[in-house]
Amino acid sequence: MRRLFLFCVISWLLVQPTAEVRAELVVVVNARCGVAAMTRNEVINLFFGRTRQFFNGIEAQPVDMPDTHPDRARFYNALVGKDLSEINAYWSRQVFSGRMQPPVKVGSPDEVLKWVVAHPGGIGFVELSKADARVRVVHELTSK
Amino acid sequence: MLLAKMLRLTNAVRLLRFLTVSFAFVQLTIMPVLAESEQTFSLQGFGTLGVARTTSSDLQFVRDLSQPSGIKKDWDGRIDSVLGLQGGWHINPQVEAVVQATTRYRYDRTYNPEITWAFVKYDPTPSLTLRAGRLGTEFFMMADSRWVGYSFLTVRPPGDYFWYLPFYSIHGVDAAYTIPMGENLLRVKAFYGNSDGKIPLADRQWEIKGSPMVGAFLEYQISSWLIRASYANITFKNDLPIAGLVPASSAEYLTTKDRRTDYYSLGVVYDQGPWQVQLMLNHIEQGNNALEDSNGGYLLAGYRIGEVTPYLGYSWVRSERHAGSDPYASRVIADSHSDQKTSIVGMRWDAARNIALKAQWDGVHGDPTSIFPYRNDPVNGRWSGKMDIYSLTLDFIF
Repeated sequence: MRRLFLFCVISWLLVQPTAEVRAELVVVVNARCGVAAMTRNEVINLFFGRTRQFFNGIEAQPVDMPDTHPDRARFYNALVGKDLSEINAYWSRQVFSGRMQPPVKVGSPDEVLKWVVAHPGGIGFVELSKADARVRVVHELTSK
Repeated sequence: MLLAKMLRLTNAVRLLRFLTVSFAFVQLTIMPVLAESEQTFSLQGFGTLGVARTTSSDLQFVRDLSQPSGIKKDWDGRIDSVLGLQGGWHINPQVEAVVQATTRYRYDRTYNPEITWAFVKYDPTPSLTLRAGRLGTEFFMMADSRWVGYSFLTVRPPGDYFWYLPFYSIHGVDAAYTIPMGENLLRVKAFYGNSDGKIPLADRQWEIKGSPMVGAFLEYQISSWLIRASYANITFKNDLPIAGLVPASSAEYLTTKDRRTDYYSLGVVYDQGPWQVQLMLNHIEQGNNALEDSNGGYLLAGYRIGEVTPYLGYSWVRSERHAGSDPYASRVIADSHSDQKTSIVGMRWDAARNIALKAQWDGVHGDPTSIFPYRNDPVNGRWSGKMDIYSLTLDFIF
């Protein structure tokens, strides 16, 4: 009985639809911040405000996008497998408990790049094709 | 000196005025350089419209002991509905001032709005955060966001864990320090202050204001796991409001004044992809004879399928009975007895952006002597210790 149950659970997990494959999103930082690569957990820690600094001690200044921009949903889905409602619920806990405010949001990938270039600790997400020489790609998001 | 002055301020208006003056002072003296013209003011809010009913008319179900009366067999919007508004002034990247007001059913049977938080936050380094003013206390994990329904899965935080905790804010300071350990993070937070608030007991109120509270926790984040151990205590400034109800000798035996109560807790949260799992345990040691020591906890698991997240939970609380010095004292002590388990089944539906609808069933299985979590002591022998609670809420943020 227990084995049958386990079997059902596992087969069900296996047939879960994988996230839609589209142009790849990457995490970019200011080219002068001295960070060459980041792990998924390091990216999560910064975008969720768990820490405010890169491993080298430089203060991180993450930039996010509004819910209305499709990149936001794709980013968090690829990063932590969560819906925007869960991301917003997380931030409502941080904000209304008085712990911290969410990252600044800008409306377009061009503005994300502008932010990252203008801030020494800037970190944001854009499509790989948009990442130019002014920024450094530190993490490529694979759908999970 | 500064702290002492803040602690003495009693009403919200004076506190606010004081904070405003301090910001101006901080701005003029310490931070002459104003940074980027990024968002400097913010206004945000949260709320819940909720109705609930139980299957018992023998006593009243409340969300926590800050509520003077609760619900019975009729649908009632009292216990879960709330509206909160937060104004933030982001003075520069390191300093911000936050004021939050909420209106909900409170200790004096009104919905009068209260200033729940009013503080200045200062981040001197990326790893250190300091706050001073009227602050929320994290006695237990998530205790300072208990009213932000949108932020959690269930209709309300599991009662067997939180009923005991009618303390919401302190006038004081706290400090949080984050230490990166490879990809993992260690976070330490400590707070100290004088608590604020009243706890309703029968038709009287127990004044908690001015009771010193101190606490700290250690938190470790490993990928999707968060583990926290915490300790806090409160030293009550006043006796229970039982003067005249019991003989003087009993009252003396039951004194809470200058007695310390210790709170220990352990929390484990797993939050990954569609899964949300929480395990919380607490142990409360009363330094007085009037209240009973207790152990409580809950296990909660939810799995998101599209916009809907069904969840299952189980919570429990049990206090350790002890005899009083005389029948009067024993009667008062028996009022603080709890011994029950609750099964929770519910569903959260994220129906629209920043709006969630929830439906939940709680099945309480307790001993007939388990009356501390409720209001209106049952007429002798009427309370079976068992009841169901049905709840519907609409949670939103804006």
